[in-house]
Amino acid sequence: MSLLTTGVSALNTSQSSLATTGYNISNVNTEGYNRQRVNQATLPANFEGTHYVGSGVTVGGIERLYDQFLAGQVRTFTSQQAQHEAFAGVAGQISSILGSSSSSLATGLEAFFNAANGVANDPTSIAARQVLLSEGESITNRFRTLDNQLTQIDAQLDSGLAATLSEINVLSRGIAELNIAISELNRGPGGQPNDLLDQRDQLINRLSEYVSVNTIEESTGSVSVFVGNGQALVIGSRQIDLQTRQDVSTDPPRLGIAYGPNAIDITAQISGGSLGGTLQVRGDVIDSARAELNALAAGLIDNVNTIQQQGVTLDGNVGSNFFGPVPPSTSVAGASTLFVAITNPRDIAAAFPAAVTTNSSATGTGTLEIDSIDTTPPLTLPLFGVGAEIQFTYDAANNQYTVTDGTNSTTIAYDPAVDSGKTVSLSAPFVGLTVKLSGVPEDSDQFTIGNNTAVGDNRNALALANLQSEKVLASGTQSFADAYDILISDVATRTNRADINRQTQQGLLDQVQVRFDSVSGVNLDEEAANLIRYQQAYQAASQIITVSNTVFNSLLAAL
Amino acid sequence: MRISTGQIFQQGLTAMLNQQTELVKTQQQISSGKKFTSPADDPVAAVQILNFERESNLLGQYINNAQTATSKLSSEESVLKGVTNVLQRVRELAVQGLNDTNTQSDRADIAQEIKQLNEELLSLANTKDASGNYLFSGFSSNIQPYTSVGASYAGDEGQRNIQVGPDVLIETNDPGSAIFEAEFTQTVVTDNAGPSSAALNITSIGVNNVISPTVTVSFATPDTLTISDGTNNAAVTPYVAGQSVVLSDLDVNFPELTLQLDGTLANGDSYTLETQTTPRNTVFSTVNAFADALIADSVGSNDSPNNGDFLTNISAVLETVIDTQAKIGARVNLVEQQETISEELSLSVQETLSGIQDLDIAEAISKLAFQSTALQAAQQTFSRVQSLSLFNYL
Repeated sequence: MSLLTTGVSALNTSQSSLATTGYNISNVNTEGYNRQRVNQATLPANFEGTHYVGSGVTVGGIERLYDQFLAGQVRTFTSQQAQHEAFAGVAGQISSILGSSSSSLATGLEAFFNAANGVANDPTSIAARQVLLSEGESITNRFRTLDNQLTQIDAQLDSGLAATLSEINVLSRGIAELNIAISELNRGPGGQPNDLLDQRDQLINRLSEYVSVNTIEESTGSVSVFVGNGQALVIGSRQIDLQTRQDVSTDPPRLGIAYGPNAIDITAQISGGSLGGTLQVRGDVIDSARAELNALAAGLIDNVNTIQQQGVTLDGNVGSNFFGPVPPSTSVAGASTLFVAITNPRDIAAAFPAAVTTNSSATGTGTLEIDSIDTTPPLTLPLFGVGAEIQFTYDAANNQYTVTDGTNSTTIAYDPAVDSGKTVSLSAPFVGLTVKLSGVPEDSDQFTIGNNTAVGDNRNALALANLQSEKVLASGTQSFADAYDILISDVATRTNRADINRQTQQGLLDQVQVRFDSVSGVNLDEEAANLIRYQQAYQAASQIITVSNTVFNSLLAAL
Repeated sequence: MRISTGQIFQQGLTAMLNQQTELVKTQQQISSGKKFTSPADDPVAAVQILNFERESNLLGQYINNAQTATSKLSSEESVLKGVTNVLQRVRELAVQGLNDTNTQSDRADIAQEIKQLNEELLSLANTKDASGNYLFSGFSSNIQPYTSVGASYAGDEGQRNIQVGPDVLIETNDPGSAIFEAEFTQTVVTDNAGPSSAALNITSIGVNNVISPTVTVSFATPDTLTISDGTNNAAVTPYVAGQSVVLSDLDVNFPELTLQLDGTLANGDSYTLETQTTPRNTVFSTVNAFADALIADSVGSNDSPNNGDFLTNISAVLETVIDTQAKIGARVNLVEQQETISEELSLSVQETLSGIQDLDIAEAISKLAFQSTALQAAQQTFSRVQSLSLFNYL
């Protein structure tokens, strides 16, 4: 009898093995499937008085080939790869926008200052002035467009964030439900519900694409999942939602991440995955790019307006602000609010409010030029008051100029032998001016600086054109172009770095995936070999039954 | 190591996809002709490209400015050429008119021509450019510099600069006051209010005729004429009214002048002679006064400045004009030099820029060929490996 039962046990076991092999083959392309193996074990032997006789084979369990450590690594690298990919995608988009010649500020600034040169070349030309106004409009457009595109990308990230959070909630809910099923069906090692485990691992893997997660396996077989610095998404059968929260501290307001029923803000704690990448690109690229743009716009407003307010328009008035907004306007100066404040091309202040006349009795070769008007804008015209002027009279005996404006007087040392080209600033109580002295004046040669409203004066327009290469931003260390270069190289470098990191993480992910698959993946050749192996075992077991039958028959025949 | 079937498939697929990505990137580079499609491809090069593009733009602006400056300077130059011609003609006519063989009506004819030339000179000084701005009124380009022959300069001394290079500013105009006005010399005889109504007349002027320091001529009864320049003294005795005195004959330090006292002389009659220089006088009033004097036929030795002094004065103006022309010539040279520099720099910037951003097409095409071979190999390997299976033998 025992031979028959042994044969039957072998048949059964081989069938199970064949079934499992077939199951492996059929799931060769199933995502998240880990191959299974039948562990065969001997049945307890029978004691025959003096010895034990083996009684057959049985299925000891069906094991899932799965390496917990490698699975954890796959998740870690998946999170990191997804984070860098999300970052590089958005940053690349932004660096393309900033760098493209159609929207770039670099070309806009060049065109604006070229137009300023045009006005300097021909200060009375309304056409040249109109071009400067139009280029001013065009640069405000570029600022607005760039800022707008950045806020739009921000808004897209917001809606992506909301979608991601609801996807995360769906996944964590799925994990919690699988936890319930698994802890009910778990029958210890070899008796685990392998397919449910596969499904749960698959959900955790997908979760790690969105956000970096930590998992802890409980003794019941359920898995707890944590994000951030210990916020549980799943504890056993319980699941806690992540929600969006409106963050009004930014302009425009945007979404953050809130945790649990008390809606605790955990935005800053989230890292990894596409969610982490989104949050990082928002802070590192969008916010800093917008801040730089705003600083650049504020610098443009400030510097162009200052020059404009130190000049005289074609109609003889003090120049008004070229760009807005400026205080007391309620809107803050920035890329999105920038506008051209003047509409009449005649209002461009190309002239200086002061002019020098050399008195006709002067006999020397000395000259005096106005270098800049230093009085804090806006000026009041006439600059020196009605009919007033500043007189410089050379005193050869003492090598000095006597300066007087009728009320105040001072002296400026000037030795023609060494001081030619010297610049001197007059300050209060005089009207603030910087003048350049040169040449060899004779005694009592006189220069007069008086009010000027000449239309053909281009000195202030030259000052505006000069602004292009002057280092006026960041406490006098950067020109406008420098600042924009820094903005572009900052974004481009971050994008480049994120892309390199993404490739690195992808490489690491690929490697660890290979190792993971070499443990858990189905190999069809192997399964084909197993198929033959278990088929042969099955055939052999059948022979055991045949032999058992023959033996029994010969016993019957003997009777 | 054990390898799963899915892995074999995935690896073959990834290899093909990667090759395709590279291939498409090369294709993009070839079709755009640029090495980079986004600043992120090479941040350092991106900033360099921006810098060089800006440099190139700035140089373009300098070249543009230089052309504007050249055109402004050359139009000023051509006006000044006209001014020189007119002044030289005036000078010729003046020499002709001063000739004593002329009758009064000859002189009147010459004066007519000089007056016409003066009008021409005035209109040259009031030249406007194509946009209707006065060339010679400084910054006040909407104000006519000289409204009439008698008017003084109405413009200012502003000189418009154009930037033709980094820190190179070129003046593109000159104020009329620096062109049409020059030092004005005349001999002035002052009657020091002596008791009689006699007059001092200069009858002849020699070469060395500058009276400096001033010379005082006084008469004392009965018949002594004293001449003094403060240092040197001489006396003529006896002296009667109408008698010519050659000063330089009395003392070599005196100017070469012949003078005489006419009328009834009285004790204490005294006259001061001096050469007066005004730093500036407009050429128009100088010329006009001379023309008027020609008409009145009063251009003799005693009629300073409308005698030989006029030639000195007109020469002074000519010199100013020629000086200005020389300055303009120097500026034009500088502008042209600067333009050449800018153009050469611009060319080299373009070359550098092209070196940074332009694709080496030959290299890219050979890369493309290599990449397509690699892709083909990956595809062949994939299909070969995929066809291997133990199931084929079952």
